[in-house]
Amino acid sequence: MVIEKMNSRILNRDFIRKFAIIWVTALVFVGLSATTHNFLTVTNLRNILDQQAFILIVAAFTTLVLISGGFDVSLGAIYVMGPIVAMRVEHATHSTGLMLLAASAVGLICGVFNGLVVAFGKINSFIATLASSFIFFGLGYVFSGQGILTISNFSERKLVTHRIFGITSATWMAVLAIAIVWILLDRTKYGRYVFAIGGNIEAARLAGIRVRQIQIITFALAGFGASFAGTLAAIRATSVQASDDLSVIFAVVAAIIVGGTSIAGGAGSIWRTVIGVFFIAFIVNGFNLNGIDPVFQRVIEGVVILLAVGADAFGGSPSD
Amino acid sequence: MRIVVEDLSKRFGATQALRTVSLEIAPGKVHSLVGENGAGKSTLGKIIAGVYLPDSGKLLVDGQEVTFQSPFDSLKKSISLIAQEISLVPKRTVVENVYLGIEDATFSWVNRRSLRERFTQLCEASGIFVPGDKLVAELKISEQQKVEILRALARETKCIIMDEPTARLSAEESSKLLEVIRGLTKQGHSIVYVSHFLNEVLEISDQITIMRDGQVVRTSTPDEETHTTLVEAMTGKTFGSSFPSKNITEAEADSILEVKNLCSRNKFADISLKLKAGEILVLTGLVGSGRSEVVRAIFGADKVDSGEILLDGKKLTVKGPNEAIKAGIILLSESRRDQGIIALRSVRENISIPYLSKVSRLGVINRRKESDFSRTYTTEAGVKAASNEVKISSLSGGNQQKALFARALAGNPKLLIADEPTRGVDVASKRAIYDLLASHSGKGMGILVVSSELDEVVGIAHRVLVMSAGKIVKELIGSEISESSVLAASFEGMDTLNGN
Repeated sequence: MVIEKMNSRILNRDFIRKFAIIWVTALVFVGLSATTHNFLTVTNLRNILDQQAFILIVAAFTTLVLISGGFDVSLGAIYVMGPIVAMRVEHATHSTGLMLLAASAVGLICGVFNGLVVAFGKINSFIATLASSFIFFGLGYVFSGQGILTISNFSERKLVTHRIFGITSATWMAVLAIAIVWILLDRTKYGRYVFAIGGNIEAARLAGIRVRQIQIITFALAGFGASFAGTLAAIRATSVQASDDLSVIFAVVAAIIVGGTSIAGGAGSIWRTVIGVFFIAFIVNGFNLNGIDPVFQRVIEGVVILLAVGADAFGGSPSD
Repeated sequence: MRIVVEDLSKRFGATQALRTVSLEIAPGKVHSLVGENGAGKSTLGKIIAGVYLPDSGKLLVDGQEVTFQSPFDSLKKSISLIAQEISLVPKRTVVENVYLGIEDATFSWVNRRSLRERFTQLCEASGIFVPGDKLVAELKISEQQKVEILRALARETKCIIMDEPTARLSAEESSKLLEVIRGLTKQGHSIVYVSHFLNEVLEISDQITIMRDGQVVRTSTPDEETHTTLVEAMTGKTFGSSFPSKNITEAEADSILEVKNLCSRNKFADISLKLKAGEILVLTGLVGSGRSEVVRAIFGADKVDSGEILLDGKKLTVKGPNEAIKAGIILLSESRRDQGIIALRSVRENISIPYLSKVSRLGVINRRKESDFSRTYTTEAGVKAASNEVKISSLSGGNQQKALFARALAGNPKLLIADEPTRGVDVASKRAIYDLLASHSGKGMGILVVSSELDEVVGIAHRVLVMSAGKIVKELIGSEISESSVLAASFEGMDTLNGN
């Protein structure tokens, strides 16, 4: 009797802890709905969704990299360089299809490059991709001719802004990206191998997994996601210019980690990433609606991320 | 120092790790704790060392009741714990490690010379000598263990709790450690010795406390116990023999594996061996003699410089473990935690991972097929788990190892290589693993085992190859195999090589 009671209590605690980020996000949502005028409106929620579409696409594929035990700083650079090349292709061919194809190809090539360096160079992935981000940022300046590139046909914006069931096509593409990554992680051999190499790379190799191949595919997918999402964002903004802006990748990694995917690799899931993205989006949106000074927003955002990650670190289970 | 434990109890979640345990540790004595995995011996050690707080019961040091909130508190009472895993800073010198946190310092400026002098005195006083300027990472594990002991002594410890200190040592290194322990007790230190190695326990102890399911079965002296009585008390069962009977190998049987002149620089040289179907061949020798390196090379995990490997008479060129597995070779690696299990994933996933192609279509896994596949082999290997969906790390060491056997058997290999197959495994699981090896060799599988445990070598091998300094120095067949012949060959090999 007593043991059963203990058991159910422990299960409950585990249950609460496992899904903590959901409860917290729901709490933020309910809190903002109650206190903030204009938060719980169709327009506002739609805006949040649409603003997060590009981040979600990058975050979905980056989740794969983190679970595999890697890290990819260069996604910030690919997010900038991909659309520059794509825009050049669009200028030369006036074809939207070729532009997206170019965006995908650039992302894949950059990703394969990262993958090769990490897998064969045996260089820590954070360092390797930090270095490659300099290369990609630099190439961005070269390809852009250091000017602003604008799309030649403004009707192309429809590709990302067209609404289906009230939601933009960019958001639908994010949904698709999430679904793809979910299937990859949850249903395929590839996904299993990603978890395995992130959990114990030597055990995975000795179990017959071709570790390098999986690493290269993972970095390639992440590169593709960043370049494609960057291009969609550029189309929506109608222009792109070279920069050294790393903010995208750090926003993405912050969201993934807040969601509860381990930076050490081997554990995590796509729903965590989605929740993490919206957790941060709700908070930022709440700040804006309440007219909080953006300077303080940053500080509070940082504290909130620390709290969320810190809450995860508490509650190490006892072992014999 | 006399430590008295009275009615200690400790619960972790739903597991009652200790139930009203009482014992007394006398000064200047070696008090061993033995029991199967999960019997509570490590937990007891950790409570005495202040790592865990007991739920109830008393702890008395020299007649005075104490409550340790942390290892720091127990250290103040001169008690320290040397955990199973080495916990030193590898890239720092021995001296720095020994005095970490208790440096001689003037305004946080470390006085190296006086540390050095204290270290020399400590070595002489204790009779434990380790080069002080070497980096810990450059030392052998047995030397690192000495550093741990020196570190404990530097903190003026009177009682040292050692959790499986010889688990990663060769037979030779273990006997040296036992000498060190004897020296310590002569100086009045008491030692709490937690170990799986019953022969060592019988040799070194003054008192033995046998534990089972969190309770003390009995405390006795080594004269009153034998290997068998200890095992029976630990398991609560009687075992006929620790090993299954050996199959008879046919002299005419085909060679499954043939290795010709395999060389790898700085690891091993000129290794040639043959393994027949249905034979259990054991590769032994001192730790560092190159046994694991040879089997890793056969499996394609490490590159070789020259030589040939033939499987079923066909020349084999494998570029990596994935190709070796396809060719029909499976390796159970030496370190279960670092090279075997994927701790965060379920038992089911750990077993199916090399064979996902068999249960998937177009890269998508059929979950039901996979479950059935994994279950077939966990049943065959006798893995005891609440279900195949629990994390593999939640299983006991013995069951994790059986799960890895299940994974190996699932590949239906022609050649199974098992590197230290029973390390850190409880007595009952050991027997189960030997049974698995015997039954599969009986069915014609070639089995190559690397082992350091002499009783195991003698108990299971049809043939033994003894390695020393990267070479095979002796072959022992059938009745030639005995603990003394194997040990003699291991050391002879060393001497001849040194003589050259």
